[in-house]
Amino acid sequence: MMVNMKRIEEQTYYEILEVSPNATAKEIQRAYERAKETFHTDSLAIYSLFSEGEMNQIQTAIEEAYRVLMDEALRKDYDQSHLRNHVGEKKEKPLGPQGIPREKRDSLSFRDLAINTGEVIYRGKTLKQIRERVGIELKTISAETKISIKILEWIEEETLEKLPPLVYLKGFLRGYAQSLDLDPQKVVDGYLQSIAETKKK
Amino acid sequence: MGQAQNDNQKMIWTIGGGKGGSGKSFITANIGICLSKLGVRVILIDADLGGANLHTFLGISPPALSLSDYIKKRVSYLHEVLIPTAIPNLQLLTGAQDLLNAADAKSVQKRRLLRSIQRLEGDYILVDLGGGNSLSVLDFFLMSDGGILVVTPEPTSIENTYRFLKSAFYRRLTQSVSSHPVKTLIDGAMDRKNEMGIQNPHDLIRAVRSINEEDAKRIEEEVETFHPNLILNQVRSKKDIEIGFSIRSACQKYFGIHLHYLGYVVYDQEVCQSIRKRKPLVLENARSRAAQCVTEIAAKLANSHQISLRF
Repeated sequence: MMVNMKRIEEQTYYEILEVSPNATAKEIQRAYERAKETFHTDSLAIYSLFSEGEMNQIQTAIEEAYRVLMDEALRKDYDQSHLRNHVGEKKEKPLGPQGIPREKRDSLSFRDLAINTGEVIYRGKTLKQIRERVGIELKTISAETKISIKILEWIEEETLEKLPPLVYLKGFLRGYAQSLDLDPQKVVDGYLQSIAETKKK
Repeated sequence: MGQAQNDNQKMIWTIGGGKGGSGKSFITANIGICLSKLGVRVILIDADLGGANLHTFLGISPPALSLSDYIKKRVSYLHEVLIPTAIPNLQLLTGAQDLLNAADAKSVQKRRLLRSIQRLEGDYILVDLGGGNSLSVLDFFLMSDGGILVVTPEPTSIENTYRFLKSAFYRRLTQSVSSHPVKTLIDGAMDRKNEMGIQNPHDLIRAVRSINEEDAKRIEEEVETFHPNLILNQVRSKKDIEIGFSIRSACQKYFGIHLHYLGYVVYDQEVCQSIRKRKPLVLENARSRAAQCVTEIAAKLANSHQISLRF
């Protein structure tokens, strides 16, 4: 059967997230956030297209694909049991060398788009989780952004009394977000909102 | 009849889907002008039943001659009803709606019209189909070299676009199969409450496979080669731009088709200004943001031989 007409339950986790089988954790994170936004129940882009049942099926498949592909051991097992069986199917056809759909790479105007993650609120621990899943160490971010590791840790742990003044904090959050390919504005807004709520308590 | 100089390179694009007001005529007119500025011969065809006013977008009065004159044999050749415009390399043909929307328009007649259009002397022919959804409109969309859907980021526009796409999709499948039971099955599948429990294209293919393996294969081939194009109009934010990519993913998951996201046009006050003045935006204000978006899309169409936007 051709790749295109596969039912969702027949698609590989890579097809479900629209990434190449050799996608990096960062690419998978990004694809997951995009898929989650696209197939969110309130998403404008799919308005009127799917039934409730179809939506549930897709959402479940996306979560499952993400859970497995972001776990190194699970992904390895999955690759061994699934990818070999599909060698003849040219799964990578619509994808460019870096796992980005070719057409998207070619269209100049789309190149610098930030990813919108919809309902994800970036608390300290969310940032930490994403960072760990993507497999980036704090010292790497620190080297890239020139933000001290201590401060990055305080940000992740939401150690309110240690956090720098707001204007610096915003700058740090932006730097942190950029090194994880997250939308800086969303990270700043989400983070500040969540620490404001913590302070109230 | 006009002799085409290089038939191989001629491209017929249809612009449809969505709903009235999504900007199809604006986009058709302005892309046409951009292409004509590249030095290729462009013919714009107005087939919008609800509101044929492509001429207004080009700043010319309602044309005296139309396709009806050709169909009713008041003129002998189709090229005689082409209207010149003030823009070099750009001609206009109106009145195609009479045929496309006539209930009795036979498929033979439509094909004949399409052939006459193909013989016109032009390199790019853009057909504004309007918001219609009739079988003739769908056929024209499917018979062209490439179909473009114009959508705005609003639920009404998106709903109508999916409705159009579903109709075109199933129409294309019906035309591709040979067995009568399979045709009936596809027609039935259009209705979500059908008794066969076919909810989506995936269910359909499974049902077809149980009746006729040959036709199931044909359907899969049709799905594989059906590549409609999408232009997102009146975008106001980065989030809006993303909707185009999301629609592409949704089409992949629902229909199994690859929709090509051709580009977006930003919401821009200059567009309203230019329409009020009846002066095309890309001529009146080429540096406006919307004009730049349209120019970029036109450049992609001009290069479509390389990047395969065809069906």
